[in-house]
Amino acid sequence: MGEVIVVTSGKGGVGKTTTTANVGTGLAMLEKKVVLIDTDIGLRNLDVVMGLENRIVYNLVDVIEGNCRIRNALIKDKRYPNLYLLPSAQTRDKNSVTPEQMKKLADELRDEFDYILMDCPAGIEQGFKNAIAGADKALVVTTPEVSAVRDADRIIGLLEANEMEETYLVVNRLRMDMVKRGDMMSSDDVMEILAVDLIGVVPDDENIVISTNQGEPLVGSDSQAGRAYMNIARRLTGEEVPFLDLNERSSFFGKLFGKRKY
Amino acid sequence: MKSVNNSVIIKGNKYGIIVVLNPDMAFDELKELIAEKFKESSKFFENAKMAISFEGRYLSNEEQKDILDIIGKNTDMQIVCVIDNDPKKEELFQKTLEQKLMELDNNTGQFYKGILRSGASLEFENSVVIIGDVNNGARVVSKGNIIVLGSLKGNAFAGATGNTNAFVVALDMSPTQIRIADVIARSPDKPVKDAVKEAKIAFLEDGNIYIEPLNKNVLNDIRL
Repeated sequence: MGEVIVVTSGKGGVGKTTTTANVGTGLAMLEKKVVLIDTDIGLRNLDVVMGLENRIVYNLVDVIEGNCRIRNALIKDKRYPNLYLLPSAQTRDKNSVTPEQMKKLADELRDEFDYILMDCPAGIEQGFKNAIAGADKALVVTTPEVSAVRDADRIIGLLEANEMEETYLVVNRLRMDMVKRGDMMSSDDVMEILAVDLIGVVPDDENIVISTNQGEPLVGSDSQAGRAYMNIARRLTGEEVPFLDLNERSSFFGKLFGKRKY
Repeated sequence: MKSVNNSVIIKGNKYGIIVVLNPDMAFDELKELIAEKFKESSKFFENAKMAISFEGRYLSNEEQKDILDIIGKNTDMQIVCVIDNDPKKEELFQKTLEQKLMELDNNTGQFYKGILRSGASLEFENSVVIIGDVNNGARVVSKGNIIVLGSLKGNAFAGATGNTNAFVVALDMSPTQIRIADVIARSPDKPVKDAVKEAKIAFLEDGNIYIEPLNKNVLNDIRL
């Protein structure tokens, strides 16, 4: 039986889609069968981040309305044969589907896939309700900014009210140098406010911008963000992975002895 | 001679009852009549909270106590206080009863366990102890006091019906706003640097809300 995980945040622009793409790809690299669902109807972009935009024929709304079978709408990833994307419709809006329909869709996919990742739209309206409807777990993405943390808090409250069984926190775009100067909240500060379990801390990394633009997820690559996303994927599979030491500088000796603190 | 039935008369208003007693009758005989009278009307009063006053006869403290015992035995109503005869009875009744009830409210409270997250709003009829944090964007309203065993970062409104003795206590006091009765205080625009995290109390004095560390002196000044 597959697991349905929703990636959500409340605030926009904190990295939901990037997290979905990278964690999903990471799970596929761990040889799990994964499907990513873009629930941001009308503002789709998970397909762009995955570099699969040119392959879209059918979309989520087509599946829900019965214009095609699920199989027809699923797009196989370029690199990983066990990774699929169900793209969102661009010409429709959030009210085209209901939470019940989304739940039914997710349950149908459970038989075939190990992980079903829902990329949630920003906000707390219909799109959010659709995305969380069928989910067993939620990954709440936040950046260490007060506005994002405030929205994450509201989202966690709503998830609790909707009886979400497990909620995990991803602190994205952390800048260790700013934390040290006292100009940015640390992941511990964020944790103290939100009081939910941390599943990953992703450092701010310009490679993410490059990878997003190129449509190739960074996960698994030799960058801090790539490693952090891989760790989240591994933790989702139940593996115990120690948190990255983000203070590390690539020192000569570190490289020489192959010492890895991640 | 008056008829026996009129030896004890129960008069009532919204906030209490007046018992008019025959001044000439023997007290023991009167007691029986009182018991009878209240038994008859116990259904009417049910378990109302009332103030009581006696008229027509001077009663010693012991006699008064006897009568209250009889009322207690024969009805379910609760006599909150006894008021001496006074021309402004109803007004006095009201004032005394409401004050008494407010005190009772302050002495009772309830517990709430959990984190109040942004968007949550809880209202309580009496004092409340919150075991958990009140985050930014959340709101607690209480007619009595608010005690937060955690950090208070959202809004707290104590004494919502105008009780100026209400207070707010938090282990980590950094609220967005605190209201007590009809006074509002907001947090400073710039965060206080190196503020120590300690239990603090917010209370109302001379129309201003003060926040002070919870020490013995402050605790001694609390009026419930």
